[in-house]
Amino acid sequence: MAGYIFKRFVVAILTLLLIMTITFFLMNAVPGSPFLTEKSTPEMIARANAKYGLDKPLYVQLFNYVKNYLHGDLGTSLKMQEGTAVSTIIFHQGKFTLSLKLGLYALALAVVIGIPLGCIAAYNRGKWIDGFLRVVTTVGVAVPTFVLATMLLVVFAVKLKVLSTLSGSLQDFKSYIMPVISLSFYYTCYVAKLTRTSMLDAINQDYIRTARAKGVKTRALILKHALRNSLIPVITYLGPVMAGIITGSFVVESTFSIPGLGKYFVQSVLSRDYPVIMATTVVLSALVIFMNLVVDIAYKIVDPRINLITKED
Amino acid sequence: MDAKFAKISPFQVDPDKIPDTFALTSEDFAPAGESEKAAMVEKHKSVSYWRDAWRRFRANTVSMVALGIFVLCLLFAFVGPSLIPYGYGDQYRSSQKLAPMEFSAGEKTVASLAGKCDGFYATALQPGSITALPAGDYYITVKGKTYAFTLDKTVEKSVLILNAGADDPLVLVKESDIKDGVYKNSQVIDFTDTPAAGAAELSLVRRVFPHVFGTDSAGRDLMARTMYGARVSIIIGVVAALIVLIIGSIYGAISGLAGGAVDFVMMRIVELIYSIPEVLIVLLLQVVLKDPLQAWFDAGTSAFARSMSDLGSGIVSIFITFALLYWVTMARIVRGQVLQLKAQEYVTAATALGASNGRIIRRHLLPNCVGQLVITTCLQIPSAIFLESFLSFLGLGVSAPMASLGSLCSDALETVSLYPYRLVFPGVILTIVVLTLNLVGDGLRDALDPRLKK
Amino acid sequence: MDEKKTLLSVKDLKVSFFTPAGEVKAVNGISYDLGYNEVMGIVGESGSGKSVEAYSIIGLLQSPGKVIGGTIEFEGENVLEFDEERMRQFRGNKVSMIFQNPMTCLNPVYTIGNQLIEALMCHDKGYTKEQARKRAIEMLELVGINNAEKRIDQYPHEFSGGMRQRAMIAMALICEPKLLIADEPTTALDVTIQAQILELMKDLQKKENTSIIFITHNLGVVAEICDRVSVMYAGHIIEQGPVNDIFYEPRHPYTKGLLASTPRLDEETKERLIPIEGTPIDLLNPPKGCNFGPRCKDCMKICLREKPPFVEVGEGHISACWLHFMEKREEEARS
Repeated sequence: MAGYIFKRFVVAILTLLLIMTITFFLMNAVPGSPFLTEKSTPEMIARANAKYGLDKPLYVQLFNYVKNYLHGDLGTSLKMQEGTAVSTIIFHQGKFTLSLKLGLYALALAVVIGIPLGCIAAYNRGKWIDGFLRVVTTVGVAVPTFVLATMLLVVFAVKLKVLSTLSGSLQDFKSYIMPVISLSFYYTCYVAKLTRTSMLDAINQDYIRTARAKGVKTRALILKHALRNSLIPVITYLGPVMAGIITGSFVVESTFSIPGLGKYFVQSVLSRDYPVIMATTVVLSALVIFMNLVVDIAYKIVDPRINLITKED
Repeated sequence: MDAKFAKISPFQVDPDKIPDTFALTSEDFAPAGESEKAAMVEKHKSVSYWRDAWRRFRANTVSMVALGIFVLCLLFAFVGPSLIPYGYGDQYRSSQKLAPMEFSAGEKTVASLAGKCDGFYATALQPGSITALPAGDYYITVKGKTYAFTLDKTVEKSVLILNAGADDPLVLVKESDIKDGVYKNSQVIDFTDTPAAGAAELSLVRRVFPHVFGTDSAGRDLMARTMYGARVSIIIGVVAALIVLIIGSIYGAISGLAGGAVDFVMMRIVELIYSIPEVLIVLLLQVVLKDPLQAWFDAGTSAFARSMSDLGSGIVSIFITFALLYWVTMARIVRGQVLQLKAQEYVTAATALGASNGRIIRRHLLPNCVGQLVITTCLQIPSAIFLESFLSFLGLGVSAPMASLGSLCSDALETVSLYPYRLVFPGVILTIVVLTLNLVGDGLRDALDPRLKK
Repeated sequence: MDEKKTLLSVKDLKVSFFTPAGEVKAVNGISYDLGYNEVMGIVGESGSGKSVEAYSIIGLLQSPGKVIGGTIEFEGENVLEFDEERMRQFRGNKVSMIFQNPMTCLNPVYTIGNQLIEALMCHDKGYTKEQARKRAIEMLELVGINNAEKRIDQYPHEFSGGMRQRAMIAMALICEPKLLIADEPTTALDVTIQAQILELMKDLQKKENTSIIFITHNLGVVAEICDRVSVMYAGHIIEQGPVNDIFYEPRHPYTKGLLASTPRLDEETKERLIPIEGTPIDLLNPPKGCNFGPRCKDCMKICLREKPPFVEVGEGHISACWLHFMEKREEEARS
């Protein structure tokens, strides 16, 4: 197990380094200096370049950039909050915590609601409840997050006035309802569909036939034999879910005016605040990669076949 | 030996059907010819893969209905714009912020003329910010007859009415003088049969087309924009899926066929790209590519650059991101198929006969993984549409006056509490397109891959 | 061979699969009796309906498959009339089954012991957890798994193929069933392991007094273990009889063909193996006449028109072929 985790960890680090390199070169590919404004004179640019080390060769710059990131120095904002350290913006203004909380709640909701729904559908295959859930989940994975978010906003905040249009800093339970639902709806539906499919897939496996031949009760067949096996693909999907929830948070935070990292990232992209874009991309990628790592480990816990691989290692 | 037959076993198939042994003639015991035997088998010949797949797909009601609705969406997006008189970029200054099916005051007045004359031309119904008809030479062609005339001065808020049967077929009326289809103070216009050189043609309408989805704050018809947006979204989806198909299948086929170290390295690359959170890189690329692309468009003289320039930098960078990042799943699927097929004997046979790799790919592998390719490509389209609408919603996709379903939703967002329908129409169409494509994809999967059938 | 009493009696069993393409008559009216302590082999090529027939006995037939006619009597009771709970109690307890591929037949995420104990516990036999575990270890030892105390807590992937099949047998026999259905239990195994498993099954059959229905397409395996053999082709039993009759005096052309295409290790012959030409018929539209007709080298006109009835061709040996009728005519003409 330790060897496996180590291997995955190395891949994760490599991926992160790759992303940092991609980000670095993409930002370098932007024509002109990031410090170029209408007022800047060549001397000012040269001074700024020297100050930020931009006059050195690219590989030195890349090396310095990676080194700085490892030391927690994520650069300085140029436009959004001029002169403020990006690490301060991300981590010390509550943005990261706010987005993380929102994302984790959405992830939890997708798992806690999605998996049981999938089981219910598979268990009652062909009955009305299965049909109903299939319609809901099929439509659910076709509704874009922003459409759902805005529609919820119109119905519950504008027309019915039961919830506030501005969720703000998510102070109370009520302000969480709409953002979390819109963020997790797609994934809840997807997880439910996936669970149903993999459950039905598991039910058709030979070992289920063996268990049936033993005389195992239908309930135990589903809950014991089929469920654990069918969770394996669901768990592998949780990595992409995390990535998707982060992306979804861009939309949801903008729609509900939540001052989180997602909204900030979109704003920095629109206003082209390069250091902020770079840093946020790297931080969010790290989050996704970390999630994938966790998922990989969880996956191997559910599937004991990993033990064999560890022994071989 | 008779005893043997007396004891016909109790396990016989169906006692009544057994013919009397002695009623059988020698002819019955004559050997049957090969052709007779073959004829018996021939009748039960199995149907071909594609026929069988089509039969299975047709039997799937949900997928068939979805296919039907998707075809309607295609008609809406590609035929629709030619059926309505409004363009996606045309602004009608007097028709701003209309609700669905609502007419502005001017339109209502003009609409009351419908059916009471052979055609009319209202300055208020003209696209763009100019609602007046400037002085100049004009001609109208109706039913093979030409009416050519000259306007001495610019007319505003007026309607040109053609009544072929009347004494004065062509009259000009102030909008304010029309009430319930009756008009007064009409000014007769003299006309000739031959238009002057450089005369502009006016086309008359017989009735005012309603703004089915209403109009936006700039006075643009939302149905026209939604149709256009749906067209853009669908095209983006299809092109992106094709890009993924081409790159992914070539990469996957090479990796699978080459095997060994090449395969190992190629798959590690796929794994790395796979673990990159794509959407973050997409956003990054959108930012970075915008200026260089624009510069390329401006400098570009080739037809390719011009056609790309028509699409705008947002869409082109979406294509670039798909080409860079999204093909990995397709490559994995194709590689898996190739490895599976490579183990088949007919491929081994082809290799033994000295067929080149290219030939093996074209003749043996691609035809055999075509089912998987069709399914994956079909399911790739909605995800590309999703991504495009997501980017456009954030203000990074297509740029005005071009519209996509995502950018329409984004435009509607600011005023969503006042005009929710502006969000609802494109949002619902987007959902329907994605939903039907998903369902068609699922149906294809069930039909083309019976092993996956539940 | 002890045939004093009948354990299982299948009469005119018909099973169809209702697929979108139409009704596939997988089993089209088969009948046989099985005595206590008897081992019967069912032989046939893939798709001949032998597994489907076995699944109907144990109630494992799944949609779109459906029993559409006939009866299956087990100790005088019609199994087909059992309700779901009764069927569940019956499965694994009175009749149990082992399958072809031991690699996929054990749940990969639970230990062997867990799955063995489950087989015992779901039939309310009044075992405590410790007793059940003890019994499971006993069973593993019985099927020849060394170090059972330790291996019981291992996962299936830690067992080799032969070991897994042994564990499957232990699991099938843990409730002391009267009938064991073995669906190609040795097909997926190496030849040496095959022999071991067969030897084990023979031993256990004697020790535990279990009847066995042994389904296979391997005639060599049949000769090894069975008392009686039924040969199936395209949903019908076409020949049935004592194992020696079938092997040394096959009467149906299909059985003859099957034997000619099987390597014989017990005879010092240098004969070539002769394959049966053609492929099995499409069960969606079975032909009017004999199902084997189109592939039969002795096919006659009548064969393409009418299905042949059974004829008793020896003591307890029946065969369904028009050739028997022709032979009789020729004999009569001669006399």
